[in-house]
Amino acid sequence: MAGTGKAHLRDSPDVLLRVDDLVVEFPVGRTGLKVHAVSGISLDVLRGETLGLVGESGCGKSTTGRAIMQLPRPTSGSVLFENKQLTEMSGDTMREARTRMQMIFQDPISSLNPRRKVRDIVLEPLSIWKRGSKKEQGERVDTLLEEVGIDPARAAESQPHQFSGGQCQRISIARSLVLDPTLIICDEPVSALDVSVQAQVLNLLEDLKAKHGLTLIFIAHDLAVVKNISDRIAVMYLGKICEVAPSDLLYAHPAHHYTSVLVDSIPVPDPEIAATKTAIEGEPPSPVLPPPGCRFNPRCPAAQDICRSEEPQIREIEPEHFVACHFPTFTPVSISV
Amino acid sequence: MSIDLEEPTATASEAPTTLVVTKKPFKMPRLGWIFGTIWLVTLSFCALFAGQLPFIREYSAKVKVNGRAKSYGWGPGWNAWFGTDKSSFDVFARCIYGARVTLLVGVGATALGLFLGGILGILGGYYRGRIDRVTSIFVDCLLALPPLLLALLLIYRLDDLEIQIWFWKVTRPWEITITLGILAIAPLARIVRAQTISLREREFVLAARSLGAKNGRIIFREVLPNVVPTMLTVAFTGLGILIAAEGALAFLGLGVESPQTWGKMINAGRDDLAKAWWATLFPCLFLLLSVVSFNLIGDQMARRFDIREAAI
Repeated sequence: MAGTGKAHLRDSPDVLLRVDDLVVEFPVGRTGLKVHAVSGISLDVLRGETLGLVGESGCGKSTTGRAIMQLPRPTSGSVLFENKQLTEMSGDTMREARTRMQMIFQDPISSLNPRRKVRDIVLEPLSIWKRGSKKEQGERVDTLLEEVGIDPARAAESQPHQFSGGQCQRISIARSLVLDPTLIICDEPVSALDVSVQAQVLNLLEDLKAKHGLTLIFIAHDLAVVKNISDRIAVMYLGKICEVAPSDLLYAHPAHHYTSVLVDSIPVPDPEIAATKTAIEGEPPSPVLPPPGCRFNPRCPAAQDICRSEEPQIREIEPEHFVACHFPTFTPVSISV
Repeated sequence: MSIDLEEPTATASEAPTTLVVTKKPFKMPRLGWIFGTIWLVTLSFCALFAGQLPFIREYSAKVKVNGRAKSYGWGPGWNAWFGTDKSSFDVFARCIYGARVTLLVGVGATALGLFLGGILGILGGYYRGRIDRVTSIFVDCLLALPPLLLALLLIYRLDDLEIQIWFWKVTRPWEITITLGILAIAPLARIVRAQTISLREREFVLAARSLGAKNGRIIFREVLPNVVPTMLTVAFTGLGILIAAEGALAFLGLGVESPQTWGKMINAGRDDLAKAWWATLFPCLFLLLSVVSFNLIGDQMARRFDIREAAI
């Protein structure tokens, strides 16, 4: 398997979420074929950490996020959250466990019911779980709305379409915080917003993370956005992980050829600098029939025969920097098994 | 340069300022649905209190000519506003009384269709899979049968069965209501199903599920409020069709026996159209106006709800 292996997983008591060999497949009509959206990825997130998950469109980032939430359930693999095995839970225990992690979606307007008052939307989780009295519920909702910068009085009488995209995303954030989760999966929370609003929402997320002691999984296709917010970044390509590293290391010297192209493609706001030469060629292959060997081999500048037949395993190329590549862009500092 | 806005003429002579007046395009007020509402409210009121209102004759009162009942004795005029029919009954009074059955059958059938069609559509669209397969096949069967044939068969069958549940005897008006209600299921179920399918993929439904909401709660709180406007719009447009269908059934002799309906009046008067046009034309007019009114209100509802949809 390409890009498999668990060398990057940590053995720490602080691990909040540990995903092992997660596989998500969708049937293609009645053809018997399958879309291999996520093909055996392993991840872990420490308490209080922010994990960035990047990759181009269709590489399975969002599917990974949803599979962690068990919406829908993954085809196989295990998701260990707060030392509880989510994949084995069912019914009410699952519903209960799911409230400990929440999700923020890409489309801020679509993630709010257009026909309900905004305050009721934020109140809904408390009403589902009947937490506290009506008064306590109202107070909690109002403080959270104020925290994200929405006027509770206005929220009580307005519907989502009366707010801007950025405000709707703030409302979504408030709703996700109502049940006091420990983990929030942000599924491209800012890619639908314009740049100035992006910064505001990102700052808000950072502030709330510190205040509520949250752990974040931040899914994005934009490395520039992920760079500042993440402690550790996992790069995905076609349902596999190519590289995992702390964000400084990843940007300083990307080891995987795919990551290096991604990093080079971050626009530099300087007209003097020439455009990047190492443009990536071709389209990502179909996830229905992924290429054998390393999944990046058809587009990789360094691909050799072994890349087409044998899948690289994830290995440590320098301390805390893991890559799944036969021929990384630089030689390992120390080869550790 | 300051412009005194309160006295534009005084400053205009001193300094020629070009004031750009953005001309508002003339907007035609939507009179259609206002007319429709007025018509239906008035008609319902008259039909409901026909016995009490002084200007409506009694249902069985004959308008006589020189003390004798004469078929088509009066044309439209002061004695009988819409003239008299073959048995010298007042056409106006009969049109009003006819509205009772017609409107009740129409509204009852629509309510039945909304209820059953809504349930089928939401269940199929939300759960998909096997439930969807079964409900879709049922709806397709309803669509595949010719509606008139289905109606004839159902009414004859119900006639034979003579169902009686407790005190409620299934009489002709009920039979027609049930039949038309069943005919209304298919289009409603299809639209509701399509809407539900598109809604269940929306992120707010996913969000509700991740918050721990159960299916029932998601259906009632997240899906249903977004489906109801469409349902009502379609139902109002369909109501007109159902009223016309009731007329068509009456025309075929499958009408309501005892009280008069518009369809029956049209059927009874059509042979003497050349002699006494009023006995046919006025019930036709009532039918037409009611159908148009329901359609106009349905259109207005579609527009009204569309404004909010457009913002999504």
